[in-house]
Amino acid sequence: MTQRPGSGRSDHHLRNVLVWWVVLSVLAEIGWLVAGPLLMPAAASSDAVFANTTIVVFTALAIPVALFVWVFMAYSLIRFRVKSRPSEAGPHLVASNGQQIAWLGITGALCLFLVIWGLFGMYQASTDPPGRPLIVDVTAQQWTWTFRYPSAGVSSNQLVLPVGRPVEFEVTSLDVVHGFDVHAFSVRLDANPGSVIATNIVTPTRLGSFSVRCVELCGLYHAYMWAPVKVVSDQDFAAWLRDAAQGSRGGAGA
Amino acid sequence: MTSGTITADTARSRRSLLFPSVVSGLVLGVAGGLLAAFAVSRFASGDRALDQVVVAGYAGWTLCFFIGVGAFHHPVRWGFGRAEPTHREERELAGEGQGAWRYFRFTTDHKVIGIQYLITVLVLFLVGGLAAALIRLEQSQPGARFLPPSTYNTVVGVHGIIMIAATIIMISGPFGNFIVPIAIGARDMAFPRLNALSYWLLFAAIPVFLSTFALGGFDTGWTGYAPLADQAPAGMDAYAFTIVLFGISVAIAAVNIITTVVTLRAPGMRWSRLPVFVWGIMLSVLLGMIAFPSFMLAEVMVLCDRVAGTSFFVSAFGGSQWLYEQLFWFMGHPEVYVIALPSLAVVVEMVSVFSRKPVFAYRTVVGGMIGIALVGCIVWAHHLYTSGANTPFDGPFMLTTELISVPTGVVFLVAIGTLWRGKIWLTVPMLFGIGALVNFIIGGVTGLYLADVPTDEVFHGGMFVAAHFHFTLVGGMVFGFFGACYYWFPKMFGRRLNETLGRWHFWLFEIGFYGVFLPLFYAGLHGEPRWLAYIPPKFAGANLIASMFFGLLIAGVSVFGYNIVSSWRSGPVAAANEWGGNSLEWTVPSPVPLENFETLPVVTASPYDYGGEASGPEVTGPSGPVTAPATEA
Repeated sequence: MTQRPGSGRSDHHLRNVLVWWVVLSVLAEIGWLVAGPLLMPAAASSDAVFANTTIVVFTALAIPVALFVWVFMAYSLIRFRVKSRPSEAGPHLVASNGQQIAWLGITGALCLFLVIWGLFGMYQASTDPPGRPLIVDVTAQQWTWTFRYPSAGVSSNQLVLPVGRPVEFEVTSLDVVHGFDVHAFSVRLDANPGSVIATNIVTPTRLGSFSVRCVELCGLYHAYMWAPVKVVSDQDFAAWLRDAAQGSRGGAGA
Repeated sequence: MTSGTITADTARSRRSLLFPSVVSGLVLGVAGGLLAAFAVSRFASGDRALDQVVVAGYAGWTLCFFIGVGAFHHPVRWGFGRAEPTHREERELAGEGQGAWRYFRFTTDHKVIGIQYLITVLVLFLVGGLAAALIRLEQSQPGARFLPPSTYNTVVGVHGIIMIAATIIMISGPFGNFIVPIAIGARDMAFPRLNALSYWLLFAAIPVFLSTFALGGFDTGWTGYAPLADQAPAGMDAYAFTIVLFGISVAIAAVNIITTVVTLRAPGMRWSRLPVFVWGIMLSVLLGMIAFPSFMLAEVMVLCDRVAGTSFFVSAFGGSQWLYEQLFWFMGHPEVYVIALPSLAVVVEMVSVFSRKPVFAYRTVVGGMIGIALVGCIVWAHHLYTSGANTPFDGPFMLTTELISVPTGVVFLVAIGTLWRGKIWLTVPMLFGIGALVNFIIGGVTGLYLADVPTDEVFHGGMFVAAHFHFTLVGGMVFGFFGACYYWFPKMFGRRLNETLGRWHFWLFEIGFYGVFLPLFYAGLHGEPRWLAYIPPKFAGANLIASMFFGLLIAGVSVFGYNIVSSWRSGPVAAANEWGGNSLEWTVPSPVPLENFETLPVVTASPYDYGGEASGPEVTGPSGPVTAPATEA
C-alpha cells in the first residue's frame, strides 16, 4: 500500500483543519465574550451573578470543544466526499493509543474542572454572609404563595425584601410538591408537603420588581401560580412592614 | 409428506386465522374489561370506587386480550403435557403462508415483530407529535387562548409519556428485532414467543393509555409526581397501568435480546467482531432492564395509593414525595442513555459504512458505551438537586453527571476519526447520522449547566431544561432513528426510499428543529417555567417564533410519511446489499426469507475491516461479505 504519500497528504489536511479550528474558535470566543453577557438574564443577587458568570465561562470552554468536532466533520464532508457509491475503501486508519489517551485526558480534565467549579459555587452559596438574616416563611398551596415575616407577624401575598440584607426562605407546601423559584436571585427549592426546608441565604443586590414562579407542575392552575417580588430600600421596607402589620391587625379586627 | 396433507394443513390454518388474532384479542379484551369493571362496580364504594372499577377494567382487558390473541395457547398446551410443537407448527406460528395477515397475529418471526414495532413507533410519534402541535399552538400566544388548563396539562403529559415510550423502543424495537438476529447470524430470537409477547404488551398498553382522555386526563406531566398523582383524576390510573404494562414489555424484550446475542451468535462471531450496532442495542436493553423496574414499582405504589388507600406518598401518613422522585429518576436518567446508546451505535455503524473505513477505535467505543451504561446508573440524583431531599448527594452526583460526558465523548472521537480521509458517501441515512452528531453536541453542552448545582438552580423546572433534552432526544436520538429508517428500510421492505424526499425531510426537520428550540433556550434562560398553559407576555416573542418554526417540522414529517408510504408501495426494488456494508444483514436477500439463512454463516473477519491487509478480498469488490458458507449444517 502507498502509506507514505497518503500520510503526507494527511498532514496537509491536518494542518488545514487545525488552522480552521483555531481561527473559528478565536472568532467564536470573541463573539461570545462580547455577546454572551448581554444575553444573560437580570441578576439581582450575588448567587445570580455567579450563575451568570458560570454560564458564560462554561460556554466559553465548550466552544473550542464543540468546534473541534464540527470543524473536523465539516472539513471531512467537504474535502473527502465522493459523488457516488465508492468503489474502493478508504485507508485503514485506526486510532493510536496516544490519540485516545489524549482525548480521554482532555475531556476528563475539562469535566473535572466543571465539577470543581460547581463545588466551589456550592460552597460559596452555602457560606452565610455576616449578620442575622431576615427569615421569610414561604408557604405554597394550590395555586398561591403566602409569605410570612415571623419577626414582624406579617403575612402577605407579595414578597417584599429590603435591598442589601441577607434573607433566608423557609419553604413548605400544604398539598403537593411546588417549586419555589425567584429566578433573579438564583434561588430555587421545591416546596414539599410535610417538611420545612431552608434555602441558601441570599442577599438581594438590586432594587426593582421581579417574580416568584412555581416551577414544579402542581396541577390545574400551575401556570397561574406566581407572585410579585419587590426589592425596596430599608426605609421603604420598614414602612411597608408597619403598614402591613396594621393592615393585618385591622383586617383581623374587622 | 404428500400433497394431500399439505392442502389439508393449509385449509386448517386458514380457518384458524381469525382466532387467534388481534381481532379476537380486541373482542375478548373489551368484553373481559367491561365484565371485570362491572363485577367490581358491584362492590366498590367510597371516593376510590371509580379508580377501583377502572383498574379492574384494565386488568380484565389485558388478561382477556392475551387469551384472545393466542398468547397462552402454546404455554397452556405445554403445561397440560401435550406434544411439543413440531417444526412445521413453529413455522406456522412464525407466520408462514399467512401473507399480510401475519402482522395482525401473535406471530413469532422476529422480522414480523420488527415491522410491527416500526409501524407502532411511527403511529406513537404521530400521536405524540399531534400533542406537540397542540402545545406549540397554545404557547404561541400569551394567555390560555386555545386550550383550557386541564386539557393543556393532559396534552403535555400525553406528549411526554408517548414520546418517551416511543423513543425508548424506537430503535431496539424495530431494528433490534429485525436486524440484530440477522446481524449476529441467527435464525430467530432466543425466545420467539416472548418476543411476540413483548410486542403485544406494548400494543395492549396503547388503548389503556388513550383511555385517559375519557377519564379526565392527568395533570402531572410525564413525570407523574406524587402526591399530585394521588389526587389526580381517574385518567392517572391509565398512566400508571400503562407504565406497568410497558415495563413488563420492555423487561421481556430486554431478556430476549440479551439472551439472543449471548447465545445465538454464528460461528466465528466473536465479541470483537460484533457490529457496534448490536453492542449498542444490547447495552441499551441491559440498562433498561436495570432501570425500568423502579419506575414500574413506583407506579404500582401510586396505584395502591389511589385504589387501596395506602400512603406511600402521602406525607401526613408517613409517606414521602421524595420516595417517588428517587424511584422515578432512578429510571428517568438511565432511560435517556437507554435511548441514546442504540442511536449512537447506529450513527457509528453508518459513519463507518459510508466512509468505507474501519471504526476509528472499535474497542474504545464499545468500552465507552459500557461506560455510559455503568455511569448512567449513578447520575439520577441530579434531578433532585433542588428537591430539598438530599444535599449530601449533590457533590458526588455532580461528579458522575459531568464525568459521563467522557465515555460519551469517545463516540465523537470515533466519528471524526472514522470520517477522516474516508470515501465519504453522503447518502440520506448518513446525512441524518451527521445531523445527529452535530445536534447532540448542543444537547450535551447545554447539559453541562444542568449538571452543575449553581446553574441548575437557575434552570431547573424551566424551559431551558425542556429545550436541552429535546436537543438530545430529538436532535441527537430521533435523528439517529431517522437515519436507521433510511439505512435499513431497503432490507426490511425490499424497496428504496426516495432520496430527494429524504433530503427534503432532513433539511426541513433540521431547520425547523433549530427554529423551535433555540428560542426556547433563550426563554428558559430568562426564567420561563415549563408546563405553562399560560405564557407570560415577557416570553411571548420567543414562543411565537418557536411555534411558527413548528410548521417546518410538520412539513418534514409529512414528507417522511409520504416517502415511506409511496416507496413501500412502488419504490424501486432494492439490492440485497444496498449500501455496501459488510455486516451479515447485507448478505441475505431482501426481503429476508423466513429463517434468514439457508446455511448458518461462518464469520471470518470484523465487518469494519475496510482497507485492512488481512482482509484484502472484501474491499476490492463493492460488497464483499466477510462470510463463507458453513461446511456442515
